[in-house]
Amino acid sequence: MKKVLSLILVLSLVATSVFAGGENEESSQDTEVGTKISFLNSKGEIQIALEKMAEAYQAETSNEVEILSCGAGEIPYTKVTTLYNSGNAPTLSMLDPTDIYALYDTYALDLSNEKWVSEVGSNALSIDNKVYAYPFCVEGRGIIYNGDAINETLNRDVDMSSINSVEKFGALLKELRANGMEYPVFLAKEDWSLGAHQLGYLYDSYENSADELNKELRAGYDAKNDEKFNQLIDTLDLEIEYNYFHNDPLGADYDEGAMLLADGTVAFWANGSWAWPNMAEGGAQASANFGFLPFFLGNDTSYFANTKIQASPSKFVIIDGAQASQEEQEAAKEFLNWLVYSETGQEMFVNEAALISAAKNNAVPQSNPLSQDIVEKLANNNTYYLPGFAAPSDHWSVMGAAMQKYVAGVSNRDELAMSFDKYWEKQQ
Amino acid sequence: MIEKKNEHIKAGLMFASPGLFFFAMVVLIPFFYGFYLTLTNWNGVVNEKTFVGLSNYIITINDPEFWNSMLLTLKYVVWVVLLVNIIGFVLGYLLTNGLKGQNFFRSGFFTPNLIGGIVLGFIWEFLFSRVFVAIGKSSGFESLTSSWLSSPDTAFWALVIVTVWQLVGYMMLIYISGFTSMSRDVLEAASIDGATGLRKVKDVIFPLMMPSVVICTFLTLQRAFMVYDINLTLTNGGPFKSTVLVAMHVYDKAFTERLYGIGQAEAIFLFLVVAIISVIQVKTGRSREVEA
Repeated sequence: MKKVLSLILVLSLVATSVFAGGENEESSQDTEVGTKISFLNSKGEIQIALEKMAEAYQAETSNEVEILSCGAGEIPYTKVTTLYNSGNAPTLSMLDPTDIYALYDTYALDLSNEKWVSEVGSNALSIDNKVYAYPFCVEGRGIIYNGDAINETLNRDVDMSSINSVEKFGALLKELRANGMEYPVFLAKEDWSLGAHQLGYLYDSYENSADELNKELRAGYDAKNDEKFNQLIDTLDLEIEYNYFHNDPLGADYDEGAMLLADGTVAFWANGSWAWPNMAEGGAQASANFGFLPFFLGNDTSYFANTKIQASPSKFVIIDGAQASQEEQEAAKEFLNWLVYSETGQEMFVNEAALISAAKNNAVPQSNPLSQDIVEKLANNNTYYLPGFAAPSDHWSVMGAAMQKYVAGVSNRDELAMSFDKYWEKQQ
Repeated sequence: MIEKKNEHIKAGLMFASPGLFFFAMVVLIPFFYGFYLTLTNWNGVVNEKTFVGLSNYIITINDPEFWNSMLLTLKYVVWVVLLVNIIGFVLGYLLTNGLKGQNFFRSGFFTPNLIGGIVLGFIWEFLFSRVFVAIGKSSGFESLTSSWLSSPDTAFWALVIVTVWQLVGYMMLIYISGFTSMSRDVLEAASIDGATGLRKVKDVIFPLMMPSVVICTFLTLQRAFMVYDINLTLTNGGPFKSTVLVAMHVYDKAFTERLYGIGQAEAIFLFLVVAIISVIQVKTGRSREVEA
């Protein structure tokens, strides 16, 4: 028996020395390169840009930032909770508001006293009067148009700001069809696009507080007889009628859509500023005439949702307050400050990552037309959003599927409305 | 006598303990910990876990979506097991009969198995939604003009086809080893006795191949039940959640809906279904094994 015991002892010794060896190696590296921290990135399209930024940051401060990516199809929330549960929490995590609400209490460091709080103003995510997350960027969404393709097809210059109702949008689509662009709309099939973004206008355009909206939705919503819900579906119907992939709506490929819009085969795509990298890959030139129309809700031309576009801080960064050492937390704060205040950080944020900073001190001009349009609309107060509202974590997936059914013609408006009511009924 | 027995136990423990240690670490402890979590309402994040008794199991039993995806998975498993084993068996048979270039074909059929499910799903997603559609449109071949992934029925078959394509090479290898280790004398004797063609396959080859069939069926069953990667990258459960297989449903429950306890309870049900079916399959398969 002694032999067995000693064997187990030897085995465990070997195991500990192996793991301890790993740690030693890391800490010996630490002294050479400053503090090593990690950053979980949940915006796949800027992974390379972030890695370059981390390199630049390291060159300036000797702190090393490892950029962790969320793999294809991986949900950021799953990734971050897995990392926390395995004791490998990222020092900084970029997440959606709904994730922050679920995690802040257990994991996030209170950032209320950070210098950047004054720069981001109301963009910061505060809960109970405490700031827990840095708003990483501002993103906007609406109906992206290719102005050059429209003008060329119609042989005249269309003033896009004059399109401010479903009726006018429908008339423009009809005119495009009559002039040879038979299907001017690309309608993406992705559940997040349909369920979170297109259906999301219903919530974003809510005029009272997020709390009231939450109450209203859970109090037994009657979507079928709701004016705004019907207005939203009217616009969706236009998209369906003029959809380039009308024969196979759920076969619409996202990347192909970006190419079709870039080369002017279609003129409209309901999407957001994050679509630029895909469009640029599809051949879109930064000098071309791209911009946003609002996602129209009805025919009232003075209604804010028909003249302004949705834009809001969309990704938030928390600093780990549960597992990171004091030193790592300080380095993480320093990295955020570098993004907000350093010349390199500001410049790379705009030109490498092609993002709009939520900090008002970043005055680097935007390099792509979609971001330019949003920055301009932000400056002219032509944007809207509902602060503090986060739909439940499975909303995009469940309602996305219901919207897909509608787009594919498998369900009708009443059935879609019923799915909507049912979904919210379950969220008691 | 007792001393000798003790010696045996010691020796046994010495050889088994490293394996047991790791088996416990990666299988037993997570399994029992997971079972414990089914009795709580843990959301995967907070430190406190409230004990809720068997309510997660009751919710699971009453969740029609879970049972729908279980049924869909059963349908998927039946087709995958049948097609993979029939095609694998036939390929194994053909490629042990001295066909010209058989080594080339063997490695060719095996290659898909070397590609990970995630990558494979992406490749086939591109093929189904872009390449086949382009071919369909240019050739006018009706059933290819729209993406197979955009309607529930064809998306299901796309899943089956890709899984079969991935697994068939692996099973073929096991069948090949079965065929090559089969005694030539028995086959010769059967031929002398006048058995030819299908008769020979049915009454002589097939019973002798039973050990391979049992292993292959077991492997395909287990792989098909637990499939997640191809489901994720090929259809992502779509269109409109019509191809959510049970593993994906469990994952969504635990991580998208953030109901960890319920997700874990569903996983226990899945475990039971797979365990029961596998035991029945191995038992019935074993009873049909014969020796030459």
